[in-house]
Amino acid sequence: MKESEIKNNNMNQYAICVKDVYKNFNVYLDKANTIKEKLLFLSRNRKERREVLKGIDLNIKKGEAVALIGTNGSGKSTLLKLMTKILYPNSGLIEVNGKLTSLLELGAGFHPDFSGRENIYFNASIFGLTRKEIDERLEEIINFSELKSYIDNPIRTYSSGMFMRLAFAVAINVNADILLVDEILSVGDEHFQNKCIEKMLELKEQGKTMVFVTHSMESVKKLCNRAVWLYNGEIEMDGDAEEVIKKYVEVTR
Amino acid sequence: MNVFKELYNYRELLKTSVKKEVRSKYKNSFLGVVWSFLNPLLQIMVYAIIFSLILKNKQDNYAIFLCCGIIPWTFFSIAINKSAFTMIENGNIIKKVYFPREIVPISVVTAETINFLISTLIILGFVIVGGIGLSKYILFYPIILVAQYLIILTISFVISSICVYFRDLQHFIGIILQLLFYAAPIVYSQDTIPVEYQWILKYNPMTYIINAYRDIFYYQKSVEIRPLVILIIIGILACIIGYKIFNKLQKGFAEQL
Repeated sequence: MKESEIKNNNMNQYAICVKDVYKNFNVYLDKANTIKEKLLFLSRNRKERREVLKGIDLNIKKGEAVALIGTNGSGKSTLLKLMTKILYPNSGLIEVNGKLTSLLELGAGFHPDFSGRENIYFNASIFGLTRKEIDERLEEIINFSELKSYIDNPIRTYSSGMFMRLAFAVAINVNADILLVDEILSVGDEHFQNKCIEKMLELKEQGKTMVFVTHSMESVKKLCNRAVWLYNGEIEMDGDAEEVIKKYVEVTR
Repeated sequence: MNVFKELYNYRELLKTSVKKEVRSKYKNSFLGVVWSFLNPLLQIMVYAIIFSLILKNKQDNYAIFLCCGIIPWTFFSIAINKSAFTMIENGNIIKKVYFPREIVPISVVTAETINFLISTLIILGFVIVGGIGLSKYILFYPIILVAQYLIILTISFVISSICVYFRDLQHFIGIILQLLFYAAPIVYSQDTIPVEYQWILKYNPMTYIINAYRDIFYYQKSVEIRPLVILIIIGILACIIGYKIFNKLQKGFAEQL
């Protein structure tokens, strides 16, 4: 009874609750991919168990913009993937309250032979939008991408910058309650980057919850009020963005 | 029940992936949709030549008889075969975006269902041109299709998820499908098989499906209701179990792919 009350309280206040989460990966040193190899070379199944996250506890309030920082391999991206249910924890609980969209990699699922417009429909549907919702947003997405007349050309004819712009335009217009972003702020030229940051600030104003993984301390300062520093799968420091960054920069220097 | 809600929310994705699946089959091929007719026609021709001219099969209207077996079979075998590869083909997107994973096998099976509906025109062409004509029993067609859909979906759930973990299963599937092809009354009629081997056919769900299609198109009689109803009930239960297995295995997809 009491436990469910606490849970209810949490659900109202928090967008994401991470409770004592552990995640291990099996790292195959020489992976046997087929049964034949598995039988013939038993030694090939040597694997190392690598603990990527060791007991993470993290509560993110609704409307908060949180940055996950840390060196490569500290488990930031893994934590993000767990939140979006691409990976599942070995133990512990993750609760998400609200519609969640993750931008782990832009343009995942774009089909090169289809036109930009068709890809908008397909990509947005992956994020769980209905036809009607996409129709409503189509104009805005095309405008945001600045692709203009190119929108009806097949994607394979796009430059990499155009590709990224379209992908970002779709992802940012999904209108989710929670937005997870993994190191994609370096999209396109400076003009477009600023536009992206502006759009994110606008979403933040609207009270969306955001979690960023990034190495750019500049954008953390611009966008986030809270930062969580991960080191070797554990939380090293959690608090005000400015303070955490200051400490982080000191230590990693 | 959560599954249905989730699928309903992602209905647009389901729709577009089915469309993509159907369309991509003919994209970049010179003859396009014509292939969906040409392919089974040529296949029927090959079997008709081998079995009626060389092996002297005595079945009346053998080409029509064959057609009623081969076309539902092709639906079955292509859907299963594709299921084995589909997760790996979609690995890139599975690793990077969350969406209900069951959409992948469901859209493969549904896209093949649409292809099957198109190729049913071939059966209709055969019975009309061949002089057998149509009967009212054709109304059983959707019921048989439901049973077949359930069976294929169940297998697709299981195969598609297991293949992520054991990729060589893909190669076995081709062989097993070939074996099942001859263990179903496709190129021969069930009553030509000796009694002591009948049990083999009885354990193959495709036997009932093909017999039912043949009843309504070739023999122009009512289907046997009892086996069909039992098949649908088993199909629903199996589908639930198949989904449970899929759901268990899908949690490791992103790591395995």
